[in-house]
Amino acid sequence: METATSSKRLPRNLILFTAIGVLLILSISMAPAGFFTWMRGRLNVFSTVFLGIFVEAVPYLLLGTLASGLVEVFLDRDQMSRWISNRPVAAAVSGAFMGMVFPVCECGVVPLTRRLFHKGLPLSAGISFLLAAPVLNPIVIISTAAAFGWGEMLFWRVGLSLVIAVVTGIVFSVEKEAGNVLRPALTLSIEHDHAEAQSNDSIPEKFRKALLITADEFFEMGRYLIMGAALAAALQTFISQSVLLTVGSGPVLSVLIMLGLAVLLSICSTVDAFVALGFIGTFSFGSVLSFLVFGPMVDIKSVLMYSQVFKRRSLLYIIAIPFLMSLLSGLLFNYILP
Amino acid sequence: MTSPKKRKQHSDVRQRSSSRISEPRLGILNLSLDTAATGLIAALSVLISLTILLGEQAGVRVRVNIPEDGIVAPYHAITFTFSEPFNPGFASELISIDPVHEGYLEWMDTYNMRFVPIRPFEQGVSYTLKFEKGEVETKGREIKKQLTWQFKVREPLVAYLQADQTTSSIWAVDLNGNPPKRLTDETLKVISFNAAHIGEFIVFTAANEQGGIDLWRISREGSDAFLLLDCRLDRCTTPAISPDGLRIAYSREAAGPSPELPFGSPRIWVLDLQSRQNNPVYADQQILGYNPSWAPNSNKLASYDGLSDQIRVLDLSENTQTIFSSNTGGPVTWSPDSKMILFTTVEQAQGGPRTQVKLADLSINQSQALIGARDDRDYSYYSLAWSPFRNQVVLSYHGGADPLLQTLWLFDPATLEGIVIADQEGYAYNSPHWNPWGTALVFQQFKLRSTYNPEIGLWKPGFEEPLTLAQGILPQWLP
Repeated sequence: METATSSKRLPRNLILFTAIGVLLILSISMAPAGFFTWMRGRLNVFSTVFLGIFVEAVPYLLLGTLASGLVEVFLDRDQMSRWISNRPVAAAVSGAFMGMVFPVCECGVVPLTRRLFHKGLPLSAGISFLLAAPVLNPIVIISTAAAFGWGEMLFWRVGLSLVIAVVTGIVFSVEKEAGNVLRPALTLSIEHDHAEAQSNDSIPEKFRKALLITADEFFEMGRYLIMGAALAAALQTFISQSVLLTVGSGPVLSVLIMLGLAVLLSICSTVDAFVALGFIGTFSFGSVLSFLVFGPMVDIKSVLMYSQVFKRRSLLYIIAIPFLMSLLSGLLFNYILP
Repeated sequence: MTSPKKRKQHSDVRQRSSSRISEPRLGILNLSLDTAATGLIAALSVLISLTILLGEQAGVRVRVNIPEDGIVAPYHAITFTFSEPFNPGFASELISIDPVHEGYLEWMDTYNMRFVPIRPFEQGVSYTLKFEKGEVETKGREIKKQLTWQFKVREPLVAYLQADQTTSSIWAVDLNGNPPKRLTDETLKVISFNAAHIGEFIVFTAANEQGGIDLWRISREGSDAFLLLDCRLDRCTTPAISPDGLRIAYSREAAGPSPELPFGSPRIWVLDLQSRQNNPVYADQQILGYNPSWAPNSNKLASYDGLSDQIRVLDLSENTQTIFSSNTGGPVTWSPDSKMILFTTVEQAQGGPRTQVKLADLSINQSQALIGARDDRDYSYYSLAWSPFRNQVVLSYHGGADPLLQTLWLFDPATLEGIVIADQEGYAYNSPHWNPWGTALVFQQFKLRSTYNPEIGLWKPGFEEPLTLAQGILPQWLP
């Protein structure tokens, strides 16, 4: 049955590819002089930006997947239920502070959160961990302090990230069924994982399994990282940052532009403070703060990775709530503090 | 990859397993996720709208960097931080200071502008800074009510070094007779220091455990010293902070290849306090230098090259160099406009060697003997200090019959007329420093042929004789 379908599709695909090829050749032949030079320049920019984002993020993805593998093998569900409170606010707060234990940025936090969900981590704690961990971890705190000093930028970045993550976590705590929030691919593996956890493997065998899980997850999530990095690079290549910066004056627009830049640039939270430092003076404190708070929670690559964990509607809430809270924070700073 | 068969098995267990995630839930309200999330989104949207509405009505806000107690440094640059991008032309029309004070407005970036005083704010005067209401940008955004701030200049301190056989520390004393205060920790053996023109910090040198000398920084309040530059085995000495407070010039002697070998010759380096870049001033290794001295405009740097017996003046903005012969290695003093320097040199005359004070005009690259060319004997002119605003210079020289005795003479370099301001019998005076207003001098004084007990002296116009402030050496103003 499947073979028959494939053999029917083959000519269609061929026709499609041929049509695209013909269109491409026609476009190229009709392209104005200088187009190829321009395109070559754009492609150079694209590849540089893409590699910049990808190379920066890959070690953290590896770290996250490694943590995920270790969690899978060494952490059982009973331990998880002992550690996490069964009160929603407490669970969300403890989830937010888990970043201090698992120092991962937004690339690594997704596979780890997914694994923790497997292990029975409550939704509220998992969501707040997912959103807060990229900021509430020692590496990011130190890098922010290195860029801005141990002052108000660091304080507000950490404080607001914590508040936004906890509030979002609490909102998700009202959901009775995890299956309504998480994608089926996630929930179906829970039983399988539980069965694996009962095996009495030796320590070397456990490490071997952890590494196998790490490799599997790394390649699985890596695809979305590549797609996200490519998309972010394409947008950065064809949407001029200087245009955004020119537009971005005024207390409202400046925050919106910085939130947009946070998504567009898709910079790892471990280094984004140094990029943000360059915006001080051009953008207000509130705008730069909103960039530092929202960027680690939501950007192009992380959204693509989230989409592998959460259902579409939940994903929308995970984007919208931090966006609006970051916007509100930026506006309050712009209007209340000079 | 999961096979279709396995997928079916998993989907069977899904119904059972999904409820295994124990979910702590808000028990107060029985809401669905959609209701809770959309409710929050709606509430946030309302809050955002209200913030924008109220914020737009409030107008542009301005904050200035004047402390709550209104006490500022004499050269305090007043920074205005706007809540929105502003137009410098519009904004500058709305700013005034009463009484009027000489300075200029400098646009820093989209949100910041500052007033930089050319002269220090006067002591004892209460200033009122006003920002009138009005438009501050082209789109009509305005400051809706007049803003005023009051400020006064703080009392200057005098920083100095006090050393005995075991310790060497920086101390500070005020002019009101209060007891001096130690600024540096006893564990640090301070060798030399320089107080910033703006008075906010001090850079000092202290020996390290490797045998080198490091650069340290401390605030005017003390107790927060931190290592500014780890020179390891090298000796970093004679720091000089640029008047704008952004760079430090110092003399650096590289350690020998092994501990028993001597240090290399001194060369001038500059450490940028913002970028932390630290580089030698001259790429040519044959150019030596010590005793760096900044021009008041912070663009020129003078230093003494002992190898070629020359004073080198480097214009950092134009990267040009001017050279004057000098064989004393004594300090250089700058005219207030940064166009001239005074220095000493020894030249052979018919009666023997005579120390001369030379005036160098940097605009024409020429120097001429100002004092000493026709002296009947050698007066050993040494310490020089040009007043920051007046055409007055203080000079130390051996005035009396006693060859060790040093006198301080205050004179006008245009007319060479002046008065002796410190010449107590049996005393030697040197290392004079003017306060930022050019109204008082501190210097080092000690009684000859008695126990070595150096003191810090103060002189102001009208003083019959110097006032002793404290016991110590190398005084500098900490405004």
